[in-house]
Amino acid sequence: MDFSRFNAAEQAQLNRVIEKKQMQDFMRMYSSLVDRCFNSCINDFTSKAIGSKESTCLTNCADKFIKHSERVGTRFAEYNAESHTSQQ
Amino acid sequence: MSPGGVDHEKIEGAVIELDMMTDVFNRMVATCASKCLSQRYAEGDLTKGESVCIDRCVGKFIEANKVIGEKLRESGGGLNPGGI
Repeated sequence: MDFSRFNAAEQAQLNRVIEKKQMQDFMRMYSSLVDRCFNSCINDFTSKAIGSKESTCLTNCADKFIKHSERVGTRFAEYNAESHTSQQ
Repeated sequence: MSPGGVDHEKIEGAVIELDMMTDVFNRMVATCASKCLSQRYAEGDLTKGESVCIDRCVGKFIEANKVIGEKLRESGGGLNPGGI
């Protein structure tokens, strides 16, 4: 987003809001990642501990999902930049 | 508004816009993950196929947003989704 139309005091306030939202977003991402990876990787309850296969699956799942959301973010930013320049 | 003062309405507008973008992004991440990512998790990297799928999924999701937004504006249901 373009913040150049805001003065210093407004930018400071916006930054505080953004920081809070980033924290919330991180927590949301954390719990949704646990849900997603737990559901696809952990199906065997014959033992209490997470096995090595399950552990690899969890790591791969988290790795993959983080890369996924980064890629979506990059593409999303590209589309936004495009529509921004075409509006001007 | 004096220079150096804070225009609360302007801030509120920016926060609403930010929330909307975040919402679109989060839904896009969830939707494209369920449509593109294999559930096997044999590796931590995105495969070639998954990457291509994600790129197209994002493009189509944004396109779909525009199409639906236009329809809603046309029907003028009092809503102005504003697009992205």
